[in-house]
Amino acid sequence: MSEPRRVRLTIDGRTVEADAGTNVLKASEAAGIDIPHFCYHPGLEIEGSCRMCLVEIEGLPKLELSCSTLVREGLVVRTSTERVRSARKDVLEFLLAEHPLDCPICDKAGECLLQDDYDRHGRYASRSIETRERREKKLPIGRRLILDRERCVLCSRCVRFLRQVTRTGELGVFERAVRSEVGLVEDRPVDNNYSGNLVDICPVGAITAEDFRFRTRAWFLTRKPTVCPHCGRGCAVFIESVSGYPLKRSDSRVYRVTARENPAVNGHWICDLGRDGRHDIDDGRTAGLAGKGRELPGWTWPAALARVGEAIRALPAPDRRARLAVVLNSRMTCEELALAKSLFVRGLGLDRIYFADAKPGAGDRLLLTPERVPNARGVLEAGFDPRLPGLHELAASKVALIFGTGLAAHFPEEALAEVLAEIPEKHIFSSHATPLDRLADTVIPTAVPAEKSGTYINVEGLRQTFAQALRPCPGVVTEGDILSGLADRLAIDAGRDDAR
Amino acid sequence: MPETEVRLLPADDASWRLESYLREGGYKALRRVLTSMAPADVVTEVRRAGLRGRGGAGFPAGAKWGFVPQAAAGPRYLCVNADEGEPGTFKDRLVLWRSPHALVEGIGITAFAVGIPKAFIYVRGEYAHISERLETAIAEARTAGFLGPRILGSDFGLDVVVHPGAGAYICGEETALLESLEGRRGQPRLKPPFPAAVGLFRSPTVINNVETLASVPQILLHGADWFVGRGLPKDGGTRLFGISGAVRRPGVYELPVGTPLRAIIEDHAGGLPEGRRIKAVVPGGLSAPVLKPEELDLPMDVDSLAKAGSMLGSAGIVVIPDGTPMLDVLHVMARFYAHESCGKCTPCRIGTAWILKIVERLKRAGGGPADLDLIIALAGGIKGRTLCPFGDGAALPIQALVTKFRGELEEAVAR
Repeated sequence: MSEPRRVRLTIDGRTVEADAGTNVLKASEAAGIDIPHFCYHPGLEIEGSCRMCLVEIEGLPKLELSCSTLVREGLVVRTSTERVRSARKDVLEFLLAEHPLDCPICDKAGECLLQDDYDRHGRYASRSIETRERREKKLPIGRRLILDRERCVLCSRCVRFLRQVTRTGELGVFERAVRSEVGLVEDRPVDNNYSGNLVDICPVGAITAEDFRFRTRAWFLTRKPTVCPHCGRGCAVFIESVSGYPLKRSDSRVYRVTARENPAVNGHWICDLGRDGRHDIDDGRTAGLAGKGRELPGWTWPAALARVGEAIRALPAPDRRARLAVVLNSRMTCEELALAKSLFVRGLGLDRIYFADAKPGAGDRLLLTPERVPNARGVLEAGFDPRLPGLHELAASKVALIFGTGLAAHFPEEALAEVLAEIPEKHIFSSHATPLDRLADTVIPTAVPAEKSGTYINVEGLRQTFAQALRPCPGVVTEGDILSGLADRLAIDAGRDDAR
Repeated sequence: MPETEVRLLPADDASWRLESYLREGGYKALRRVLTSMAPADVVTEVRRAGLRGRGGAGFPAGAKWGFVPQAAAGPRYLCVNADEGEPGTFKDRLVLWRSPHALVEGIGITAFAVGIPKAFIYVRGEYAHISERLETAIAEARTAGFLGPRILGSDFGLDVVVHPGAGAYICGEETALLESLEGRRGQPRLKPPFPAAVGLFRSPTVINNVETLASVPQILLHGADWFVGRGLPKDGGTRLFGISGAVRRPGVYELPVGTPLRAIIEDHAGGLPEGRRIKAVVPGGLSAPVLKPEELDLPMDVDSLAKAGSMLGSAGIVVIPDGTPMLDVLHVMARFYAHESCGKCTPCRIGTAWILKIVERLKRAGGGPADLDLIIALAGGIKGRTLCPFGDGAALPIQALVTKFRGELEEAVAR
């Protein structure tokens, strides 16, 4: 593909360069000149209906849409003349004349385009004394989404998303004129794996998520970028959590996972499985350092690790290969896998490392891959030949080191319990609790991907390094910490610094 | 009265059949075009004739045809806009009813000129009885070899489909018509791209009004110069002026483009009933800003009306007599636009509704000059800012009415 041609245009007196084919709105944004808009969304086809992004184009008599006007050489654009400012005031005034102004109880407040644009460009002295239309304010439209028709500005982003992206078409605009409203086509509720994006793209509080409604205010949220670990795609996401005020009422730290734009992977969207990943972060986590189902008071994870180290050391070297079973997983980062390779293969001479992961599921034509792990390519790149252990193989071991909860996905609980009972020393390192934990000699709680930094390689071979998005739960360590700690205790050079 | 021997409209209902049409020289133009003219020459002839669109915008028809990219492969379409819905307009129904073959012949010539094998006639839903007649006329033309494959032995073939509309004013807007024809919600599309390049089913499309197309055979039969001679150089031919309201002889009059408005009212429509005087005149359908009695000496052509701050539009004249409360007229207008706004774009959807709410409040509870100022300001927020011409069509007549009859309205709303 050839490089797009660059053109030079003038925006508000400044010479700006942009790729041919870009619209004036984007070119302005890139130059630091924001043009308010509602219906325009870079991931959807141009609608041109909100009329908010009108600008002056030299030589044209009327104001023109900056979303649908493409840049061209020599174009002269003005975005802040009296005419443009007055057009913005008028559009915002129209929208507000039919808006409920319930910002104090609206979840979108603080990140609402209508609120932000009015603040910057609006006409403050209201001229509207007429009665507003009353509309449905709490209409369930499927997938735990709630539609508030009074807040809706009819930008049709939701309708276009469902037609153009998911091609499921659950929503449409019904009725006409000021009675126009978004509704379900033939009463079929929104039901697709990308429904959560409707909340992200709604510029106002018209579509909200039931599990976010009334739980916090947007301005209390800290939003940190990371990579989604729930399938092989590696979509860019934000983890949005509340760290301080107001006092949280539950143990959940993460209020929502939202889409982060990454043209190379997921564009503007993420799937609902990834969005629901907030439950994976906060629910069902391994409670704390434990042994045989009891908390180990006074223990620290280095002490627990020392015990693990002792168990390994106690195995005579010739026996290790047959008697030490190690089960890793494909949620581990490339860096952690490199450590594991150094420790277990090069250091301890094991020739077989097992892997146990979540079972594959159905993929789709958009983003979701059948594999439900983020780093299967990383496992291969580290030189592993990932294979699920047979129960008899586990049963033959004297020491078992089990990373993650993958085994539980493949074997019935009773069978695993029987096998574990036969292994003299078994140690579990896991972010989430399983019924097997009570049988382990030690259980060390580990971090979920959002709580650590590292690198994943996605299904297309793209290497993505991410930073820690969330402070780990108290007492939680990363698998990397465990692996390098074990290496220290066994006096093996795991080369952690290199791996990093 | 310059009585014209060639008429778009036969004098009576009985002569709509093919037999009558042929007797009056029908389909001679099509035969001439197919046997002796190149498509480009047909376009040139129509361009020279100064045929302006009869639907409302007054765009030169030949120029519109010229926008269709001739090099592109793939299908292209002709759409006939028979969704006559502008209040005060009732002339296309007469063409369809009395002279369907003039339309069919015009379609044939136009389709040949632009290289189009398929035409759709989008007929206003309420004109169901007319659609039936149209179907009969099309069947007659097909049987006689004026439609179908290899028309009159040429290589040119054309298929015509009649499609009923479903009752929305906005579907008369050309891109909303295309959406509706494609089976979607009738709402305008963003332009550009224009239909000539990307129209029906994303293919190059010509959209013309019924009367426009029905005028085409005359041009090809008698020549561009003859056509211009019947009207004005840049606005040729005769037009069908529909006149209603307070006149003695309401109806449709075929008159040269440029006939003075006062002459149409006084001479052709017989003036007002005894004792009534003109208070205001809507010159070209509801969307054309009203004229006051002293503004009626205007020649009725596209450019003259535009210069006077109104528009010829669909040439549907409504005569409003003295004694009519202009607040009621404003209410009718505001209600129509608020009802028919498709709701797609913000200024039109909410602006028209807001204006109606103000007018209804004024009627109910009265108000003051500030309310009238606000109506003008809100219309200003619609004007020039909407996705389609509906916005201007709503804003301009409302602004004109409030401005020109301000004194009366202020008195009417004072309590």
